[in-house]
Amino acid sequence: MTTAVISNQVSQKQISDAEKILPMWKIIFSQFVEHRMAVAGLIIICFYVAIALSAPLIKKITGLDPEKQNPLSRYQKMMTTSQASSSQKEDAITLFIQNQPDQAKTLQDEIVAKNLIQVVRSEDALFDLVNKDSIEMKKVISQLEAPAKAELIKITKSFEVFHLFGTDELGRDVFIRLVYGTRVSMGVGVLVAIASALIGLLIGSFSGYHGGIVDTALMRVTDALLSLPTTPILIVVAAVDLDKVPGARLIVSTSNENIMKLVVILVLFSWMQAARLVRASVLSLREREFILAAKTMGAKDTTIIFRHLFPNVIAPLLVSVTLGVGNSILYEAALSFLGLGIQPPTPSWGNMLFNAQELITEAPFLAILPGLQILFVVMSFNYLGDGLQDAIDPKAIRR
Amino acid sequence: MTSFILRRLFQTLVVIVLLSYFCYTLMTLMPGDPVELMIQSNPKITSEDVTRLRQLYGLDQPTYVRYFNWVKTIAQGDLGYSRTYRVPVSEIMGPKLINTMVLSISSMILSLLIAIPLGVIAALRAGTRWDYLVNFFAFAGISIPSFWLGIVLIIIFAVLLHILPAGGTFTVGLENITTFQMLLDRAKYLILPVLSLAYMEIGIFLRFTRSAMLEAMRNDYIRTAKAKGLSYWTVVWGHGFRNALLPLITVITMSFAHVFAGATISETVFAYQGVGKLVYDSIISNDFNVAMVSFMISVTMVLVFNLIADILYGVADPRITYK
Repeated sequence: MTTAVISNQVSQKQISDAEKILPMWKIIFSQFVEHRMAVAGLIIICFYVAIALSAPLIKKITGLDPEKQNPLSRYQKMMTTSQASSSQKEDAITLFIQNQPDQAKTLQDEIVAKNLIQVVRSEDALFDLVNKDSIEMKKVISQLEAPAKAELIKITKSFEVFHLFGTDELGRDVFIRLVYGTRVSMGVGVLVAIASALIGLLIGSFSGYHGGIVDTALMRVTDALLSLPTTPILIVVAAVDLDKVPGARLIVSTSNENIMKLVVILVLFSWMQAARLVRASVLSLREREFILAAKTMGAKDTTIIFRHLFPNVIAPLLVSVTLGVGNSILYEAALSFLGLGIQPPTPSWGNMLFNAQELITEAPFLAILPGLQILFVVMSFNYLGDGLQDAIDPKAIRR
Repeated sequence: MTSFILRRLFQTLVVIVLLSYFCYTLMTLMPGDPVELMIQSNPKITSEDVTRLRQLYGLDQPTYVRYFNWVKTIAQGDLGYSRTYRVPVSEIMGPKLINTMVLSISSMILSLLIAIPLGVIAALRAGTRWDYLVNFFAFAGISIPSFWLGIVLIIIFAVLLHILPAGGTFTVGLENITTFQMLLDRAKYLILPVLSLAYMEIGIFLRFTRSAMLEAMRNDYIRTAKAKGLSYWTVVWGHGFRNALLPLITVITMSFAHVFAGATISETVFAYQGVGKLVYDSIISNDFNVAMVSFMISVTMVLVFNLIADILYGVADPRITYK
């Protein structure tokens, strides 16, 4: 620090710089940046969030459909292209002839006139063309001159699908399923973590602030829930048939049934940690002077809890939310893997592993890829949580 | 102390009873009750038969009445009859329980053997490359989905290298073998499940050992011990680790619930015949009696271990007094 002797030699600006107090968020930020793995985790999470948000865009650009099946190209290797089946090709041509009969007619006439391929009936020319193998077909199309050629090229292009990560047991493209799986898995993870943090916040602060019999009762319940083995319980609860639960249909509609059901189940068994954390911080905050001051000024309990206690527990809660996202993704994956979570055809990282397990010898990559995504994302969230924890912990601040 | 144990015992009992009722209710909400299954397998059944069957099995009564009837039969020692296995439930529970215990305990021991030395080293060399490496290893452990790790292990050791079986509990059809050979055979099937289950625990224990050890080594008595001229390792193990052990004991005993929960998934992946797989299988195949009993046994086991943990903690730390 600048002593009186040195301050004679330094400029006024340097003195004012030294005296300036860093705002809290700047201290936290500089602390956080020091944790390199946490920063890396944040970048990876941003990447996956971007993928999850732009999933429809990726679908549009690549023209891939996560639910489109192709029985002829099951278990394709990575970086391969698959051909559409002849019935799919013919369907596309039929559609083309229906929608643009004039264009189709000119193309048919040209093929027949130039005698590019052997044609039995002239109206079947286009069908015969697309049923040739792809090299010959391209050669014929390149010889065509009619302006409708562009349309035909567009159609034939959709016959060949490039599979970056190969295809699964139903011939669906693994890449686009992983992209959509990101959406489902991360969505469930974030939703569960935030919802359970909110419930934990309410129960924890209520319990910690009031103390007495309410506190004892709530904490007994929390402890009891915490001590249970999660997986068997989750399996039992997840197996419940919603049609037999009275009133459940009012909340959950059929379209998003299994996602919402899973979120509710996971929240039901993951709010306890947040509640304990909040309760502990509220217990220590309760005795502080500013709470006493607020009470002396006649503040209501709700005012004290919402205005004075909540802002002070947000930081530790943020850490628990971050760690919670990782855990929820793991639980979602485990339940979906057991066939009790997200139901196919909706892709999630967990249920992509469900079928992959049975065909390990034929297509091991099917089992490896979704798991790797889970590992990356969960690890990133854990590192991020660790970094945040270090950053907001006043004892860990290094100056 | 005695009153504390009695109170905790009472609490555990209350939790078990509440949970069994909760679980019983959930089971009634699952798709397919026994009569529905009978209807499916018999097209000639009439609606009068259905009503009669429901009355016969007491399915027309409210849940709490059925629950009390179930408790009554359980209390008489009759665990019911398994629909899928076609034997009394009590006959299948025993060996499965032992299998799960063997799996859980050996993965627990393995993870401690790996995590404690690594964690202590990481704490002693905090901030170095070693520390980062160990930390990374630990983070991967808590982040890896154990069922996926299981699949990867199967791919490596069973599919590619052909050195370990992909799943099961023991080789079927082995006859005239000595006890030693039988143990060896079972151990072979145990390696992969134990590995996949242990890695998660290694991650948790490593991080706790490291932070507990860091905390302990900051104390004044460590400086005193060093100043006395004690050897480095005596200070580390005798003074540092001994004090780091206390918070560790809670984590270890509390994590039994965690291991047990994880075992459910590992058992399913490796088709290892344990209670966890039994819970899963019986729920999937609507085997109501088995599901209920195996679920209650697994929950009770975890709760009893938690109880033991609490008591042990008091024994280990003389500063703790129970009121």
